[in-house]
Amino acid sequence: MTMPVRILIVDDEQHIRNSLATWFREEGYEVGVAASGKDALAAVAREGTNILLVDIKMPGMDGLELQRRVRELAPDATIIIMTAYASVETAVEALKEGAYDYIVKPFDPEAVSRLVRKAAERYSLLAENRALRERISAASPALISSGSPAMAKVIELLDQVSPTDTSVLITGESGTGKELVAHLIHAKSARRFGAFVVENCGALAEGVLESELFGHERGAFTGAVGRHRGKVEMANEGTLFLDEIGDVPPKVQVDLLRVLQERALKRVGGNETIKVDFRLVTATHRDLEAEVAAGRFREDFYFRINVFQIKLPPLRERSDDVPLLAEHFLQQFATQMNRRISGFTPEAMAALVNYPWPGNVRELANAIERAVVLCRGNRIEPGHFPFAAPPASANMSLASVEEAHIRQVLATCSYNVAQAARELDIDRVTLYNKMKKYGIERP
Amino acid sequence: MNVRVLALGDVPPRLAEAVLGGLPRPYAGGEAGQLAVAFDRCYDRTRAQVDAACLIEQVATPEPGWAVVGLTGVDLFMPALTYVFGISHLGGRRGIVSWFRLHPEETGREAAEILLRRITTEAVHELGHSLGLVHCVVADCAMHRSLWPEGVDLKRPEYCPACLEAITWSL
Repeated sequence: MTMPVRILIVDDEQHIRNSLATWFREEGYEVGVAASGKDALAAVAREGTNILLVDIKMPGMDGLELQRRVRELAPDATIIIMTAYASVETAVEALKEGAYDYIVKPFDPEAVSRLVRKAAERYSLLAENRALRERISAASPALISSGSPAMAKVIELLDQVSPTDTSVLITGESGTGKELVAHLIHAKSARRFGAFVVENCGALAEGVLESELFGHERGAFTGAVGRHRGKVEMANEGTLFLDEIGDVPPKVQVDLLRVLQERALKRVGGNETIKVDFRLVTATHRDLEAEVAAGRFREDFYFRINVFQIKLPPLRERSDDVPLLAEHFLQQFATQMNRRISGFTPEAMAALVNYPWPGNVRELANAIERAVVLCRGNRIEPGHFPFAAPPASANMSLASVEEAHIRQVLATCSYNVAQAARELDIDRVTLYNKMKKYGIERP
Repeated sequence: MNVRVLALGDVPPRLAEAVLGGLPRPYAGGEAGQLAVAFDRCYDRTRAQVDAACLIEQVATPEPGWAVVGLTGVDLFMPALTYVFGISHLGGRRGIVSWFRLHPEETGREAAEILLRRITTEAVHELGHSLGLVHCVVADCAMHRSLWPEGVDLKRPEYCPACLEAITWSL
């Protein structure tokens, strides 16, 4: 969820503070006011502030001094200097010291609105980039920690293709880290300051997917109560990541192909042509060549998205990496849950290395998270893993064996029913019926 | 929610009646009237404008179940801003609209119709603020911010479904 932007207005004149506070509150910002530099610093330290509008001339600590001190306290805060005409030279000095901009009092409403909106967008972008960096640095070792030649090749390809604008198709089994690779491509590209927009195409019906991707105009269909910008439009100047591209219906494939060729789109129910400039990264766990051969996937669309392919190896083909990854996840989850767990018993590590990991890195991460929850000592034991459950005994009924297996697979998939259904090779409705039959509920 | 539309000073009362007649949902009804105000108390000689924050203090908070919007032809400013089309107390059930800067370039009957529509739209806007709504991203919603007169024409004198729901819920 996006946090609201918080603005602090610092001015010794009450009527200036009040009128600006009224103006920006109507805009939907969270607004604080401070009558002096000292009060402003206390507010920044206490509540955090994203944008400061600072009067340059104040008794005591002036705007320039306040700017220096805020920089130490909140380096990411955006500072806009307010000045009377006579002190423009000082404002220019403030710019040299890192102020975002300055504005002369009284302000033109349009100018001040535009300036603060730009500053708010800059803040959102900084926050988004920081979240992306944190996510990548938290998850990268899971993908990259490796001594395997197959992963070394993946890293090399990533470094080569990321700075270009080429469309990339990422293939690999579920849980191998395809979305993370897409994130890395975006983060290493020239478009990293633009948006990274994700759409999972496998989960949506054709009409919904069309509307999600291309947007719609008000009244385009029943329930379209307002104009809606699609994911393609939102990815303008950034990267569009379409997961499960192999599940996209033929009609939407045609529409996407047209957008890719013309670099423009029309919203559903609209006539306006909207230019779009984005990089496309797609992913699938399906064999798209086989899908093309079977006539379920358009060949022209396949060629368009498969300009550069990165194939992620399944974890069973890089079992040497399992101990390193297991240690990484153990450290991550133990820290998150504030647990003192020093490592794995030799038997537990052997169980991890010997397990085939059909759910790949995601399943490994889930298994370690579960083990950290269950572990009461200081080392993880085999019994903490769902796959190390005792084998079914000869006197168990078939229904009991089925129930136990379903519970085990659901736990491994963190109760993601769609994923569990794929692992069990049954459809979701069947799995839901079986869960109902055995009284299995999501935690 | 009932609305009292007040002509401030010597504004013709029929303008207040026309605006009242154009108010959308969720305003159930109300009355048009006139309020004597002392513009000179809020007049800034150096700027040759009227301080909006000062003027709104002359419009009393109405009784529960009512909101009030005042109409004036004087040029309004806020101390930090060169001009404003209106002002309101966020959630305070009172607001003011000025048409000083809303005049269209057209002339004759067409100009009068455009001006009335602009005043009504901005009255709906300020009433929305006075009931707690902030600005809306939907371009044709009355709560979208307009900074120039032609921008007001892109809006409709009513709320988008989300704003209508928010305002109805708050009542």
